[in-house]
Amino acid sequence: MKFDAPIPGANLLADTRNYPWHRPPDLTEYDEAVDYMLEKLTQPEQTELVYSLLDIEVSVTTVTSALLMQAIAKGKLPIDLAILIAGPVARYIQIIAESEGFKYDMGTDDSDRVKITPTLLKQSLGIIEDEETGQVAILDDDIPTEGLMGRPSLEETEAAPADEQAAMLGMMEAPEEGDEDVQMA
Amino acid sequence: MTFQEAVKKSIIQFMDGKLPKNLMEMSKGELYYTPEYFDGFEQSLEEDGEAPEIEEEDDEV
Repeated sequence: MKFDAPIPGANLLADTRNYPWHRPPDLTEYDEAVDYMLEKLTQPEQTELVYSLLDIEVSVTTVTSALLMQAIAKGKLPIDLAILIAGPVARYIQIIAESEGFKYDMGTDDSDRVKITPTLLKQSLGIIEDEETGQVAILDDDIPTEGLMGRPSLEETEAAPADEQAAMLGMMEAPEEGDEDVQMA
Repeated sequence: MTFQEAVKKSIIQFMDGKLPKNLMEMSKGELYYTPEYFDGFEQSLEEDGEAPEIEEEDDEV
């Protein structure tokens, strides 16, 4: 049995002011925030970390994001100011990477992303449009015909006979298998 | 929009030489770390490895 668990509602009474991000941030001005970040980046440990990350092909955007998150977690910067100073910090990392001869990826290029177009969407859904008539045809090749997710056969999709439908609606008694036996007896 | 996406957008804007309009208005155009500063910094690093010194304008005339 666990006795050291928090009592219900304890979270509502907990003092959360001890978290750095719950207190007012230390830096609120653009220039002083950039100054703080650049100064931090000149520290040997941080420089080594940045170079190592760039060396393992981490993008400049990701490195910048991580550094800013660190500063936010420490309560140095508010989130909106961190986003504002992301440009200068990334540019600085780019400059020092270039000066040290590192190959780097900015991580701002979207060229690798597959752009979703109507044609691509139609292709992926197996829809072919006739250019002349503009009619749309669906390719049947990829549609499964068996199993739980399979398309129902024509027999299954046909409407039930009128008698069966009436029996299903309770308008007519459905013939039961046992009836004939009872009558015979 | 996630934090990472916002950071990416901010970086793209800065690399294009743009600064947020409201930020410029708030600072009355007196920002130190502008895209031009970093261009100068890069140039000076290529030349002699020194950061550029921007002369502060004296208010007194």
